[in-house]
Parts: sequence; structure tokens; C-alpha cells
Amino acid sequence: MQLSEKVKETQFLGREFLLWLWFRAETERGHFDMGKKGTAEIWFDDKLTLQSENERGIETIICAGEATNMREARFALAGNKEVVQAAVKLLIGDNQWSFVLDSTWLNFSSFKTPKVMMDRQDDPDGIFYEKMFLIEEAISAIDVIYSSFIKLRLSPEWTDQERPALVKWISEGKDSAAD
Amino acid sequence: MGLISRSGSFTRYLADGTLPEEFMEILSEKVARYSFRILDEKSIDERSVGWVNIMDIFDNRFAGLEFLKEPYITMALRVDERKVPATALKQYCLEAEENIKKEENLEYLPKSRRSDIKDGVRLRLMKRAIPVSKTYDMIWNYSTSLVVFGCTANRLCDEFMEIFLQTFDIQLQAFYPYTLAGRFLEKEGTPAELLDGLNPMNFSQEK
Repeated sequence: MQLSEKVKETQFLGREFLLWLWFRAETERGHFDMGKKGTAEIWFDDKLTLQSENERGIETIICAGEATNMREARFALAGNKEVVQAAVKLLIGDNQWSFVLDSTWLNFSSFKTPKVMMDRQDDPDGIFYEKMFLIEEAISAIDVIYSSFIKLRLSPEWTDQERPALVKWISEGKDSAAD
Repeated sequence: MGLISRSGSFTRYLADGTLPEEFMEILSEKVARYSFRILDEKSIDERSVGWVNIMDIFDNRFAGLEFLKEPYITMALRVDERKVPATALKQYCLEAEENIKKEENLEYLPKSRRSDIKDGVRLRLMKRAIPVSKTYDMIWNYSTSLVVFGCTANRLCDEFMEIFLQTFDIQLQAFYPYTLAGRFLEKEGTPAELLDGLNPMNFSQEK
């Protein structure tokens, strides 16, 4: 099989990753082991785009704002919609980033790093290196988390524990929205 | 310096292949060859694309190695575009057609003639159009092969990959969930082919 075909056939990995990330963020307070760097915390920042495809074409819903709308997103999930974009916040130590992750490319949009506290006049290169460190730190954290997801997805633990828990969580979303 | 100075969006790539030994020596020359060229007022080109200094969009000289901040190569892709507004084009074409009809005492103009008039009017107006400039940061960490490009629009990202290849003779690999997962697995000595056996989860069957 050509690489392009493989890429197309496995596009669901990006969507499943965002779903799993959301599930983990809600159920385990989004803590992820970063090895020597400690722990990264992720939480969903109240903006989600979900999609489904049927005979009428692609249906997209965007849920943004208050927690009530996130309940609607959970309800949409139960209606077979998949997460294609998610605004997330990432916290490592005292540093906090915010960005939108997309499922197709795992691109970063509206990316904001923690503030760089340096004087541009004194050391313009210092600002550059500090900013690059912060960009690469966030990329690396998402890569580590995605890598954990892939390992889990390929393991028997996925079928035995993670998937049933995820299915249960999705069903609960439908029930809570109906309340 | 969009991405460096403020928030933004970016796509990441992997610069495939090892750098030749003399790479740093010929880097300026390579970059300068594809540096940004300003749209000449007399030209009829609609678009110009090329590299500029990431800190100064007006600097396209690349005389030294100011874009080298080890282990990063930093530049910005500048895209200048000028367009003739569709309504203005239509208006000026109608005016030109009316003038010709009067001069040549014609009631109707054939389609081919109207097409020629449109081309002529477009060229005339194009010279008066003011280009709009946009820049997109490119940061290449050549020690890790990670390339960050400050844009997520597919068309421009494709164009960026092409210009990167022309400039450095290095093919960029876009990151997809599949290729990224394959990289992680290979790093750990697990065959990436394991991914080929995965099927999407179907929750609806279980609810």
C-alpha cells in the first residue's frame, strides 16, 4: 500500500487521539507523564469542533463557551460525531500554553506560548531562543502524549480497559445532557 | 516575525535526509537564489514569493549568515499578491467596449474581441494595483530535522514544501497522525506496520 493510502486510511487516529485526550482530561484531570520533565497537564478550553459524515454530506457542529455547551459536545459525541478540532491548554511547571489542535495534521493553530520576559533591545537573539524553546517544548509534550496514546491503542489494555471506559464515558455524556 | 513575536498557527515537517558537509558554506548562495523579488510596477505578474529575513521583511539580501541561529535556520516566506477587483475590471471593460463600438461604429463585439479587451484592461489595471504583503515564518532546527512553518493553509503549505525543496534540495515530510505514530514506533524498535492492522473504533455498535 502507498504511503498516501495509509495516511488516508488511518486519518481516524487523529480524531481518536483528540477524543481520548478529552476523555483523559475529564476523567483523570489530564495529567500525563513527561519522563524527566515531570508532568504535563492538559485541559480542554471550552471550544470543540465535531463532525460526522452521512448520506447528506459532512455535518459540523462547533461547541464553544460555557460548560453547558461542552455538555452539548458530549451529547454530539454520543450521536456518532467525532472531534476534529479542540482548543486545549497545556501546563508544564509554571508555563502555560494554549492552542487549537486539529485531527488531520495535528497542526497547532492560535498558538500562544507563555510570555517571554526579556528585553528585545538588550538581547534579540535571547528572545528568539526563549520563544523557540517554548514552541518546541509544547510540540514535544503533545508528541509524548500522542506516543502514549499510540502505544496504548496497540496494546491489549486498549481492548480490555481503555475502550470500555471510553464507551461508558461517551454514554454518560448522553445521559447527563438529557438531565 | 509572526510566530516568534506573537501567537500564530503552524504546520510542522521533517526535513528528510542528511545535510551535505559543505552545506553551511553554500547556504547563503542557496537562499539568495530564492530570495524575495519585489513586484515591478511595470510588470504584469500578480504574485511574487521568496525568502526574506525573519526579523525584517524588507531585507532579502542574505549577504551574510544572519539567518543562522545555531542550531536553527530562520527565515520568512514573503508572499506579495496584487489583484484587480472584479467589479473594477467589469466596469473598465464595459467602458472600453463602448468606446471601441463607437469608434468602429459597431453594434456588437464578438466574444473573442471582448476577451482581448478584457486581457488588455486587466494588464493596464494590474500595473496600478497595490500588492498586499504577507510573511510566514520558517524555523528549521537542523539538529532535530524539525521544520516549523507559520501557516496551516494547505495550498500555501504545498507551495512552501516546493520552495524548500528548490532552495535546499531537501524534501520535507508532512506530519500526519500515521507518519508521526510510525516514527514513535520505529524509535522504540517496533515495526510501524503494526499500525496497518488498526481499524477505527465504532462506538455506535456498543452503545
